[in-house]
Amino acid sequence: MGIPFEALIPYGVMLGMFAVSGAALSKIRHMQNGDKRPRHSVDAWDKQMMDRDRRLTGFLRGQTDSVKAPPGFELSNPWRVEPTFT
Amino acid sequence: MAAREPRFNQHVLIDTTPMPSSIPPVQEVGASSAPLLSASYFIGARCKAYNDDFMKCKTDANGRGEIECLKEGRKVTRCAAGVLEDINKSCLEEFRKHWTCLDDNNQQLWQCRRLERGLNKCVFDNLKLEKTIPGTPENEVPVHLRKKQIFAHSLLSQ
Repeated sequence: MGIPFEALIPYGVMLGMFAVSGAALSKIRHMQNGDKRPRHSVDAWDKQMMDRDRRLTGFLRGQTDSVKAPPGFELSNPWRVEPTFT
Repeated sequence: MAAREPRFNQHVLIDTTPMPSSIPPVQEVGASSAPLLSASYFIGARCKAYNDDFMKCKTDANGRGEIECLKEGRKVTRCAAGVLEDINKSCLEEFRKHWTCLDDNNQQLWQCRRLERGLNKCVFDNLKLEKTIPGTPENEVPVHLRKKQIFAHSLLSQ
């Protein structure tokens, strides 16, 4: 007596849909991170370093090992301003 | 300088006024986070005196360190840029492989020990700089010299 594969087709369809959407989301996340694995457990130090990377290269995950910073780097550190209460 | 963190800081202000000409300009270090982490122990090995000077100046300045310690800061920047330039000249391939690995692995040094060993050897041969982890107890092997990294994801990269 064989296994009733027609009854298992809907389960296969559901599994396939989960797999396709999971793979698509993972691919999108990979592409959003500059074709690298995404960072996890990012603390304030890592946030500050990634902000510096964005100022140096233009991309949040961009890396460069040049010795000299691009011109204008010294002045591109933003002041965080807040609305004042009078 | 800032006594408290600013709140609701969605607005940023970029001030493009250059520094006054009385302050000698210094070329900023252009390496981003992964190469800097990779070279950090070599920068520490060569620039320990300047770094300690700068940290002592900041501690003693009681909050005015950003204004009063500019001179020591310039020395730190120049020394670090010098180390990076030497590494770029002599060990560029190993350096690039190591920091690419770090970038792939969430900037975790213990995932990339295999490439780190190659880089350490190259830097020691060419630049005579050795990586030491300050504060290691005397009777323990330092973590970067251990055979087995217990938290590494794969056996290949250890």
